[in-house]
Amino acid sequence: MEAANPSGDLSAEMEVDAFRRLFPLRFFDRHLVESIRPDGRPLGRARDTTLALGAVASADGSALAKIGSTTMLAAIKLEVMTPATESPDEGSIAIDFHMPPICSPMVRPGRPAEAAPVISKQLSDTILSSGVINLKELCLISGKAAWMAYLYPEERNNMNLKVDKLWNFMITIVDIYCLDADGALFDAALLSAIAAFSHLEIPVVSLDEDGRVVILSQDEGLKTSNEPVNAEKRKLTLSDIPFSLTCILYKNYILADPTAEEESVMETLITVVLDSSYQLVSLYKPGGSVLAYTSALQDCIALTRHRVQELKKILDEAMSEMEVD
Amino acid sequence: MSGKGGSATPTTYSPSPQNQKKPKSLIFKDDVDWVRPDGRGFQHCRPAFLRTGAVSAASGSAYAEFGNTKVIVSVFGPRESKKSQMYSDIGRLNCNVSNTTFATPVRGQGSDHKEFSSVLHKALEGAIILESFPKTTVDVFALVLESGGSDLPVVISCASLALADAGIRMYDLVASVSVSCLGKNLVIDPIFEEENCRDGSLMITCMASRNEVTQLTITGEWSTPKIHEAMQLCLDACMKLRMVMRSCLKDSASSQE
Repeated sequence: MEAANPSGDLSAEMEVDAFRRLFPLRFFDRHLVESIRPDGRPLGRARDTTLALGAVASADGSALAKIGSTTMLAAIKLEVMTPATESPDEGSIAIDFHMPPICSPMVRPGRPAEAAPVISKQLSDTILSSGVINLKELCLISGKAAWMAYLYPEERNNMNLKVDKLWNFMITIVDIYCLDADGALFDAALLSAIAAFSHLEIPVVSLDEDGRVVILSQDEGLKTSNEPVNAEKRKLTLSDIPFSLTCILYKNYILADPTAEEESVMETLITVVLDSSYQLVSLYKPGGSVLAYTSALQDCIALTRHRVQELKKILDEAMSEMEVD
Repeated sequence: MSGKGGSATPTTYSPSPQNQKKPKSLIFKDDVDWVRPDGRGFQHCRPAFLRTGAVSAASGSAYAEFGNTKVIVSVFGPRESKKSQMYSDIGRLNCNVSNTTFATPVRGQGSDHKEFSSVLHKALEGAIILESFPKTTVDVFALVLESGGSDLPVVISCASLALADAGIRMYDLVASVSVSCLGKNLVIDPIFEEENCRDGSLMITCMASRNEVTQLTITGEWSTPKIHEAMQLCLDACMKLRMVMRSCLKDSASSQE
């Protein structure tokens, strides 16, 4: 009955928690052989996901997304800008992902987490390249020319045109805060950003005397002499919403939606982003010791397809709850 | 007006009307009959919503909501001190308070609030039994999700709950309340608009059951009888707040069983 390796002997006597810390790979192997994970999930299932829209009252659009314990809070603020000369008829989107020290024992104040700028860049690439937001819709003053030409009477002979640009586009600044980091950060961040965009309402604005854009509050709208530029609050149209799923490749297993413990022990991650018509938006596999063959990639994409259906339902339910209110 | 190549960040401004008009002064300081903007009495604190266990990644955590002021605090530790620090027979406390960019109505920078961090440290270090975790550090990190007035007292009370949730040994829970002086009136637990037009403020952090004050800050103009009155107000409020915190901890402990 004597086991050849000493750790085999120890494992018989040791408590589960100690075994989990000292021999994490063997702990997971024991579970994966039974096709189950330590928290009881089957290999391909993601954790319970919830969405709450309108979590931040002072923001123009906001959402709180929870995947298992991973919690992300996204808030969108609108500011007015002049469009860039290369794309004079488009607004812009700025996405900032923050990992404050509360979210994880790995993050120290003053030294930002390694994952934060990586996820920030991934998010802005995904959202901009998927075309979910039409930047031309971020125009505040529709129907008016972006350029106004003044012709001064004394210079009429010279026909000097003084050209002035109007500030008339919006930049949406999305701030995403990770409140609790328990794996699959990109998935939760993307979900919260998309949900915040679907909650976003562009307020009624008008121009004041200096040509600056001002939001009209509800009670002023009727009394002010400035005519509102857009008739009512409007929402952005989201086409082809991207949803994502992160999977871990370990030996010949594929684990969907890893927790932080699983991510730290089994390092090879792959993130697949599909849009709501199941077209591939992005595939991200940053190195790792396990090589992904075509069959593994196809399995991941199939898991993501299933996940997209779940997430679509969750997003629709959250939005219809908001409308009922 | 030549645009730079690539994505230059143009200067932007926020279209909200607040910074363009002078805010109407809702408060007539010398008039005894004015009502607070949220309808509370002068000596009523806001109702408190407290929850422990908000962050699963932390050793202990708490979420506090006092009206519009929302704060999350996480406690990590006791864990190994930084290698660069000298040996210490007693434990160390490390505090950090930061704001989100959307904490204020106009988007801010969201950087660390150094002054709040040091006041939080002073408020807590008198209450924690540092001898119980020698050579190690306890980290207390706070994030202000929304700033609706009286931020620091809420952060301190929430931090004390989070420390209790983490099982760090303390002499007592610390509760913190602040009072603002507006003309002749003392208002407790001021909101943002009241804090902006105050003449002075007094903030107390105390261990109510031991009747000991860990931290006291007074700013502005005060006369001695007013200080006594304000301190008494605060100490009474702290005692009630401590009861609320205690029942929150008892509820969470009993729900775990």
